[in-house]
Amino acid sequence: MISRYLTVVTALLLAVAADADEFNATGIVRDAVNHWRGLASDSVITMVIHRPDWERTMTIRAWTKGDDRSLVRVLEPRKDRGNSTLTDDNSMWSFSPKVNRVIKIPSSMMGQSWMGSDFSNKDVARADDIVDQYDHSILGVEEVDGITVYEIESVPHEEAAVVWGREVLRIREDHVVLTHRFFDQDGELVKTLTSLEIGEMGGRVIAQQQRMSKTESPDEWTEIQVVSVNYDVDLKDSLFTLSNLRNPRD
Amino acid sequence: MHMIAILMRLAWRNLWRNHRRTLIMLMAITLGAWAMIFMTALMRGMVAEMVRGGISALPGHVQVHHPDYRDDPSIANLIPMSDSELSERFAGAGFAAWASRVRVPAVITSEYDSRGVTLLGVDPVSEQGLTFVDDNPVEGRFLESVDDAGVVIGKKLATTLNTQVGKRVVLMSQDPDNEIADRGFRVVGLFEADIKAFEENYVFAGKATAQKMLRITDQVSELFVLGSDHRNVDEVYDKTVELIGDRAEVMRWFDIDTYLGSMLKVMDGFVFVWIIVIFLALSFGLVNTLVMAVFERVREIGLMLALGMRPVYILGQIVVESLLLLAIGLAIGSALSWAAVQPIKDGIDVSIVGDGLDMWGMSNMLYPELLLSDVILANVVVLVLGFLASLSPAWRAAHYEPIEAITKV
Repeated sequence: MISRYLTVVTALLLAVAADADEFNATGIVRDAVNHWRGLASDSVITMVIHRPDWERTMTIRAWTKGDDRSLVRVLEPRKDRGNSTLTDDNSMWSFSPKVNRVIKIPSSMMGQSWMGSDFSNKDVARADDIVDQYDHSILGVEEVDGITVYEIESVPHEEAAVVWGREVLRIREDHVVLTHRFFDQDGELVKTLTSLEIGEMGGRVIAQQQRMSKTESPDEWTEIQVVSVNYDVDLKDSLFTLSNLRNPRD
Repeated sequence: MHMIAILMRLAWRNLWRNHRRTLIMLMAITLGAWAMIFMTALMRGMVAEMVRGGISALPGHVQVHHPDYRDDPSIANLIPMSDSELSERFAGAGFAAWASRVRVPAVITSEYDSRGVTLLGVDPVSEQGLTFVDDNPVEGRFLESVDDAGVVIGKKLATTLNTQVGKRVVLMSQDPDNEIADRGFRVVGLFEADIKAFEENYVFAGKATAQKMLRITDQVSELFVLGSDHRNVDEVYDKTVELIGDRAEVMRWFDIDTYLGSMLKVMDGFVFVWIIVIFLALSFGLVNTLVMAVFERVREIGLMLALGMRPVYILGQIVVESLLLLAIGLAIGSALSWAAVQPIKDGIDVSIVGDGLDMWGMSNMLYPELLLSDVILANVVVLVLGFLASLSPAWRAAHYEPIEAITKV
């Protein structure tokens, strides 16, 4: 009896050892996601949407709590002030004070652009899918300016609702994502999220400025600049409700 | 009896007295008859093709849905009976073919684009040969079982999405609680459809796979039954109603696709109108010819009357003359239209105007359909109306005053 028990334990230990590399890669990705978001955060962000013939700047305030709740409100420009998006788990609602109506974003619109940017609604609502819907492996480890950088390849599971063939992330050992590249199923690079500026904010080292650009059209991009962020906040659950989406009490 | 033989002889000889005029008239009648019958065959072929295409898209002659499904074809409106219960009831009913499927709106996304589509969760075994997918070979393979993990999409959709066989796409829809239901699928096959819009609209997945993705248990959106003839579906309909009861809505194909149903009805009426219109044009020529023939023979008719021929035989002679003319013309015309259909029996390629036809739900091939009933209808209508038209000149000839007629210069 005991010997059988021991065999099982040994087998388990061996399995864990074999998986250590993968485990580690998943851990790095999870840490990076958690680091960026924190347990709860309250931030002000400017978003620049650039196109060859026009450019648009928005200032937004975003609150996040846990893995799956977030609320985003537009502060600037004036005419869009108050436009808000609430995500809870995989659902997403938007509110516009002009029409005074809460609209649930239907699944058909999840793939569409979020507020006209190069991010899709899905990118905004389901950022943590990257952890558990993919198989992660470490492609390489290098030293940049004395900081270890892991290059991690993430391949979506066969049945995962992800269109990419694979994604490659470069993550520093202090959990800052340097680049996040999306490849199609032929291995062609489709879009890239690059961290342009890294610095300390809200007590953490984070990517302060990030740019999402498409390989096919290099002069179209969306940049996100973190103006301020506070990670040590205690956010009430009532913040992430439909009634708060409609009638802001913050 | 003897008199009729004499009248026939007289009429026949009179016809060929002015053979040039008779030949011209014969040509007109022949052409008219040919136009009636041949064009009707083409139109019949067109409508038959539309109906065939429509039924293979619906599909089926009789469909069963949740009462609200047609207003809101969403996941909330499933047939309120489990799929296994449905198959239990329908398996022994002796239908030519039937199948049930999950049918919901969905969004398909590739790395480059996304499109709104209709997701069909099908049982590939029971649907084999029933729908438009089987008209053309599938690139790659079609689904193999209800829990096949792949999807089959249209060729045109694949081009739009920039994807191909072997690549993954994501399908997104809603579950009954309005939550997002999505899943990645590998494209295993590309189908081609005669109607290009189908290639963009329909995505096939295994029924069980679709049910799992949509988080529904053993339920379906639609069940369809195929009978033997699209013109006679009442038997299938009654049987289906009996099997389903009042828990779901049972509809015939022409009630679902009312456009197609009324199209078929309009067509039946239109054939008749078409024949009448052509006849009207013909009748002017016919009456004119007969009036001329009567005018030419005023003295002769007067003489016959003076010699004691009864007016009714004069009338008969003219009428028989016109009927002979019509009969010969119709015979040649019918034969000609039959001959004209023979070389194009295997279909005419009308892909030059394919895009326009597509809009009408028609495919690029046109198969003329020569129906015996249409041929008979055209012949009978022309003979009857021709008889009526010839009465007026005949009546006039029969009522000449013999003395006046003989002395007429």
